[in-house]
Amino acid sequence: MRHFPPLLLLAWLLAMPGPALAELRGEDPTEAMVRHIAKDLRCAVCQNQSVYESNSDLAKDMLNVIRAKVAAGEQETAIRDYFFQRYGDYIYLEPTTQGMNTLLWSAPFIGLGIGGLALWLAMRQWRKRANENVKPVPTHAAMQERIQKELDQLRM
Amino acid sequence: MNGLWKIVLLGAVMAILLLFALGLKNDPREIPSPLVNRPANDFTAPALEGDQPVQLSAHRGKWVLVNFWGSWCVSCVAEHPYLIELAKQTKNRSDFVMLGVDFRDNPDSARTFLARHGNPGYPHAQDPTQKIAIDWGVYGAPESYLVDPKGTIRMKHTGPLFPGWFEQRALPLMQGEVK
Repeated sequence: MRHFPPLLLLAWLLAMPGPALAELRGEDPTEAMVRHIAKDLRCAVCQNQSVYESNSDLAKDMLNVIRAKVAAGEQETAIRDYFFQRYGDYIYLEPTTQGMNTLLWSAPFIGLGIGGLALWLAMRQWRKRANENVKPVPTHAAMQERIQKELDQLRM
Repeated sequence: MNGLWKIVLLGAVMAILLLFALGLKNDPREIPSPLVNRPANDFTAPALEGDQPVQLSAHRGKWVLVNFWGSWCVSCVAEHPYLIELAKQTKNRSDFVMLGVDFRDNPDSARTFLARHGNPGYPHAQDPTQKIAIDWGVYGAPESYLVDPKGTIRMKHTGPLFPGWFEQRALPLMQGEVK
């Protein structure tokens, strides 16, 4: 390390992502398509990683299958469907909005709606009750006299 | 709180409890395969032993147990004695065959595995790039599929087959007791 100044090491480390970035910029359209598809597919044996990000063997082989299919000119939807037919909708990183999933997606909004309605009904009732309570209650004559007396005292 | 609200609240609590009860019965490790009750994807691949390629559709008319394994898989070692026993037990059946798919493996390691743990004697297809495994929606090893004589996948078993699996799971299907 003595012959390798730390500053030079830093420069070398900073230069590292350079080629990778260049590769990304000059990415050929086939590979871009592969990336686009693989990013949406779940690596089945990983913890919440996409096929594109994962280093697992299954993900790498899946990537190769995608690559072969893109090279063969298959459409994106056909390729996505290929994996869906085999692994079910678990394979999609983002759940689909079809079938039973529609219910799942809309449930929070339905819940919010029901909650809002319930709150509105409850508030209406509270207000009604509050208005009822405001009705003037006739004061006892003795009490009225006492209040008047104390008010007079205050005004002195 | 009037009576209607009490009923609504009770209903909601009951619904949540019911969902919990249903959820508890599910095995989170079990991912349902969409391939069950669908035609099995045919494959032809070089055999691990011998020159005769292994082809699934060559066994049409018989029930086929397709077992995905690899020499790198620890659970496969645990499963292996049962596969040997099952092969021996079903040797004389004319309606049942077993096939292995050795995936993501190198053939030498697989042959060493069979030499060390015993060779059940049925053919194994080589699938070094997992092409067949992915085509069959395989996640890991071991996984087994039971294909009926018409070539339809009737069952998927994730994890090692257990002693008695054939009698408990396969036979009822084969005898038409389970639709």
